[in-house]
Amino acid sequence: MLRTLLSKDLRRAWRNPLPWLLNLALPLGITAMIGLVFGGQSDGNQIGRIKFAIVDEDHSLFSKFLRGGSEQENSAQILAPVYLERAAAMQQLNDAKLSAVLIIPPRFTSNYLTGGHVELELIKNPAEQIHPAILEELLGVAVSGLNALSRNFAGEFPAWRRVADGQADYHEVSRLVEEEGNKMQALRHYLFPPLVGYTNVTPVQATAADTNEKEGPKFNMFGFMLPGMTAMFLLLLATQAVNDFHRELALRTFERFSTLREHLLPFVLSKALFCFVTTSLGAAILLGGGACLFHFAWPRPLEVGLVTMAYVVFATGLMAVIVALMADERRSNAMGNVVSMVLAMMGGAMFPAEQLPAALRDHLLPWMPTFWYISTVRNLWWSQVAWPLAAVKLLSLGVAGVGVATFLFQRRLNQGTR
Amino acid sequence: MLRVKAIAKAFGLIRAVDQVNFHVNAGEIYGLLGPNGAGKTTTISMVCGLLRPDAGEVLVNGKSFASHPQEAKSLMGVTPQDLALYEELTGRENLEFWGRMAGLSSAAAKGRANELLEALSLSDRAKDAVKTYSGGMKRRINLGCSLMHRPKLLLLDEPTVGIDPQARAKILEFVVDLREAGAAVLYTTHYLEEAEALCQRIGIIDHGRVLAEGTLAQLQQRLGEGLVFTVEGDFQESSPEMRADFEQRFRVLQKSERQLVVAALGRRDPSECLKDLLALPGHVENVSLKRPSLNDVFLHLTGRQLRE
Repeated sequence: MLRTLLSKDLRRAWRNPLPWLLNLALPLGITAMIGLVFGGQSDGNQIGRIKFAIVDEDHSLFSKFLRGGSEQENSAQILAPVYLERAAAMQQLNDAKLSAVLIIPPRFTSNYLTGGHVELELIKNPAEQIHPAILEELLGVAVSGLNALSRNFAGEFPAWRRVADGQADYHEVSRLVEEEGNKMQALRHYLFPPLVGYTNVTPVQATAADTNEKEGPKFNMFGFMLPGMTAMFLLLLATQAVNDFHRELALRTFERFSTLREHLLPFVLSKALFCFVTTSLGAAILLGGGACLFHFAWPRPLEVGLVTMAYVVFATGLMAVIVALMADERRSNAMGNVVSMVLAMMGGAMFPAEQLPAALRDHLLPWMPTFWYISTVRNLWWSQVAWPLAAVKLLSLGVAGVGVATFLFQRRLNQGTR
Repeated sequence: MLRVKAIAKAFGLIRAVDQVNFHVNAGEIYGLLGPNGAGKTTTISMVCGLLRPDAGEVLVNGKSFASHPQEAKSLMGVTPQDLALYEELTGRENLEFWGRMAGLSSAAAKGRANELLEALSLSDRAKDAVKTYSGGMKRRINLGCSLMHRPKLLLLDEPTVGIDPQARAKILEFVVDLREAGAAVLYTTHYLEEAEALCQRIGIIDHGRVLAEGTLAQLQQRLGEGLVFTVEGDFQESSPEMRADFEQRFRVLQKSERQLVVAALGRRDPSECLKDLLALPGHVENVSLKRPSLNDVFLHLTGRQLRE
């Protein structure tokens, strides 16, 4: 009987797909929109190269040195500078073709070497968030370096300025190099190794397969956002699916069922099963379709799938309880939507949960099932998280929810189907 | 097949059904006739188990519904007043689904659906979604869904409400065929013509109570020997019924300033009655004679028209 009831519900959903399609298209659309706004165009598994303009109004040796630094091999992996005049750069920034514009003002080198006030200007594209922020951080590092140089080598700057102006002879240059060499020798304990280091080790004899195995999955903005969107919209899908119970009450088909059968439990269970099946299909479309649409692969897909199934059971149980408590479809829709949004927001679906106020973050967040799901799937990108624990917790809550809802439905139906 | 003993149901302070008794035999259509809100649907809901009676008992095939609900339900087919169909599914899918719910195997449900589609003249639209059907076709499928398991007792709650005369005639024909096949039918309606044409026995219900019960002839008998006069005139300042021996000759069914409806008592010649009525005080403009209808019976029992 369960199979007949389920196939009837699936057939009805198939022939009236608009509400379901909306709930599936919305999260993909929102993910695409937010992903593009915050992350720019993705070029696969990486965050993408940051395209920015350098407007060099100084045209000195030092500005050439800065320009050269951004074109080095390592920098070129994430930076894609273009050299433009100020007007052309601003035009491209307005056309959203650049993430930022770096302006090196006139007499920058001269003022720096004479100890005068200098400043670099960074104009960020307001339509983007992450790329301009990265550039700002990088520029901050460069400015810290320039400050450190000016503090330690200020005495030699006039001599270096003469070198830069072409007024020094080889003896002068030789003497300066020797002096700076001695200073560097004295500082070597602080500079080599630095307090924070970075080492890129590639085993000489490693095979291509080994390299792939050891290389961790690369970050993807869409992959980071999609679990949050999925968590929220699966709850909304579950609301819609379980609400079919109210629709059957309004259609009087449940009454007709009651005139044929004394035991109503199969009917109630079939709705929970219908919810589980449709929400699982929704999850597959959101996570699988999302990965295809945004060109990334889920790390550890089996684990992601299992945790998602557990979350679907949780969504089914939660929404079944809400629908059982509410008097009609309108009320249970409203309540289901509110609960879905609140749980999703509190669990970090739309923004990192760590940004919540401290009291909520410390006391409420650890109890949020949405947080268990979202954080587990996100963490699967990088680490060996304890996903089975999260899955078991979600599964247990879901099963308990279905149990409570069945009891509530049965009690309500015993009082009369209307 | 069905015996209802003194069932009652109250919703708060409102007594929707009060001490209702009747029975329906196999091969008989029993009509429960009453205006909207009379308690017909509440009665049928208690008979089929959708509502629990506050008092009384329902017996199906001699067994108490309360103690053998599933057995009773397997003998019943219920056609609710509101359409209880899945509009996204086709007519055939609806029939097959309800057949499966009634306990038929998949093959049996398919076979029975074909039979019913043929009998209800819906074979050519069997593959169309119900939402594309006309009102009459939906009513027929609604009826068909309750017949899938060949029930011996049919509860039809206003099955023809809101449809055109042609579609109604088809449904009524079908119900007569079911009765002839031996089914017991409890038929609720507020259409006088349906009750008169279809039902072997009729119960008139109003405000939750069965006011009268019997065959059409028995009900008409309650008004006398079958003569009802409608007198039109000016009765604003006169009270004809106050005239001596009027109450021995006529029973007043309804009186207004412009109209007086009376039934003649005893076996009397119509011309004598006419003479009496023309001699009434006040200005009599017109007197017409007719055979009493169910509406007159209802008027007599409740003091108001069935359609009011």
